[in-house]
Amino acid sequence: MARSSHDWCLFLLPMAAVASPVHASDYLTVPQAQVLLFPAAKSFAEQTLKFDDAQRDRIKAAAGVRQRTGEQKVWRAERDGQSLGWFMVDEVIGKHEFITYAVAISPDGQVLGVEILSYRETHGGQVRDAAWRRHFTGKTLADHFKLDDDVPNISGATLSCRNVMDGVKRLLVVHKLFLAKA
Amino acid sequence: MTFIRPSAMALTLLALSLPALADENLFGYVRGAEVLPKGQVEAYQWFTRRSDKGAGKYRALDSKTEVEYGVTDRFQVSAELNMLSISTSGLVIDGYLPEDKKYGLRPQGIELAAKYNFLSPAKDDFGLSGIASLEYGTRDVHSGQKKTEYEFETGLQAQKYFLEGQLTWVGNLGLRAAYEKRKAIANLPDGVEWGTDPEMEISTKIGTGLSYRFAPGWYAGAEVLREAEYETDVGLERWSVFAGPTLHYGGKQWWATLTYFKQLRGGGEKYAGQSDEHLHLIEKTKNEIRLKLGYNF
Repeated sequence: MARSSHDWCLFLLPMAAVASPVHASDYLTVPQAQVLLFPAAKSFAEQTLKFDDAQRDRIKAAAGVRQRTGEQKVWRAERDGQSLGWFMVDEVIGKHEFITYAVAISPDGQVLGVEILSYRETHGGQVRDAAWRRHFTGKTLADHFKLDDDVPNISGATLSCRNVMDGVKRLLVVHKLFLAKA
Repeated sequence: MTFIRPSAMALTLLALSLPALADENLFGYVRGAEVLPKGQVEAYQWFTRRSDKGAGKYRALDSKTEVEYGVTDRFQVSAELNMLSISTSGLVIDGYLPEDKKYGLRPQGIELAAKYNFLSPAKDDFGLSGIASLEYGTRDVHSGQKKTEYEFETGLQAQKYFLEGQLTWVGNLGLRAAYEKRKAIANLPDGVEWGTDPEMEISTKIGTGLSYRFAPGWYAGAEVLREAEYETDVGLERWSVFAGPTLHYGGKQWWATLTYFKQLRGGGEKYAGQSDEHLHLIEKTKNEIRLKLGYNF
C-alpha cells in the first residue's frame, strides 16, 4: 500500500476547519436594542449589580439555573424622571457560542419584550423572529417557563431556546430580588 | 488506485475558508441522543486509524462517508459508504490474520440506519434515542480479506446536559448480530487456519462520555467503550475496553471531532506468542485515532 493512504495529515484536517473564520452574527447593538424595547424612553441610567456567592445561590434557587457571572449590568429606562422599567443584557450558552439577548422588564416585573443581539448557531435563527420572541411578552415569575408550553421550541435549536427562556426567567428573578424596589 | 492526498484535502478546506462549523458528535465513539431537525441534511466523513497488535506491523484505516437526513423533528435516516485500507506484515494469527496484506482505500461495505428521538435532552431534561442499522460488508476489517457479512445493530443513546449545556454526558448501550462467510484464500501456507464456514456472532457495547465546553465552540472530553463478542460454542469469546480523550470544535456549518482511543484492558482469545496478556489483540489493536468531520447543509 502506498504510504500516502495512511497519511498523518488526515488528522490535521480539523485545523483546516478550525482555521476557517467564524462568521459572527451580531444583529443589534445595545443602544439599538434599548430603543426597540423602550421607544418612549429618553434616557437609560446604567448601573452594575454585583452578586456575592450567597446572592448567586438565591438567584439559582429561585430561577432554577445558575447565575454564571458575579455581575449584571442593568439600565433604568426613564422618561421625564419616571421609570419605565429595566433593560438588561445577558449571555446564555448556545450549542457552541454564547447567545446575547436583551430583556425589557416593567417596574412590576413583567416582560415587556426580548431582542436577540447576537446569534451564531447552525440552526434556530428563528429565535430572532418577532413571532417567537412575542411569546415572552407579559411573562412574569408566576409563569412556568416550560418549553413548548410557555414558549415554543424551535427544532434543531432546543438548547438555545431552553437557555434563552431560562435566562429570561433568571433576569426576572434578578429584578425581583434586587431591582423591584429600586 | 488514485487517492486524493489528505494534505491536499486539508489545504483545500483552508483555501475555501468556509464559515466555521457547528453541530453534534461531541464524541468519536459514543453517540448523543439528538437528531437532525426535519428537512435538514448533514454530511459526515470519518477516518479511524487502527494500529499496533503488539507484534509485526499492523495499520488499518477505516473511512466512513455518511449522509443524514431529518425526516421529522424526531426521526432521521442515514446512508453510509465504508472504505478500508490496510497494511499488515510480520504477524500471522491463526483464523484471524492469515497473511500479509497491503492495499489502499477500497470499498468495504454500505450501511443504512435510522434514529428515533424519544426524549430531548434540552427540552425534557434527559435525552433518549434509539438507533437501528443494517450493514452489508465485503471485506473483513481486521484482516482485509474478502468476505460477505450482514450485520444488524441496535442501540440506545442517553444524553444529559449539565450547567445549561456546558457539560454534556452521554451513555450508550448496543447490541449487534452478524452473519458472515469468509472467502477462501488461494495458496495459503500449510498450517495457517482460515475458516470459511458461515459464522454468527453477537456483540454488545456499553459506553459513556463526558464533554466540557471550555471556550465558545470548543469541547474537551473523555469517553470509554466496552465491547464484548459472544459465539455459540464458547460464550464470551473476547472483550475489550477502550478509553481516551476527545477534542471537538464546532462552528456554524462545519464541525470536527478528534479522539484518541487506547485499549486499556481486554480478554478472551490470544494469539500464539502474544506478550500483552491483558489485551484483546486478535481483532482489536492497541490504539485507535478517529477523526470526524461534519457539514450542515
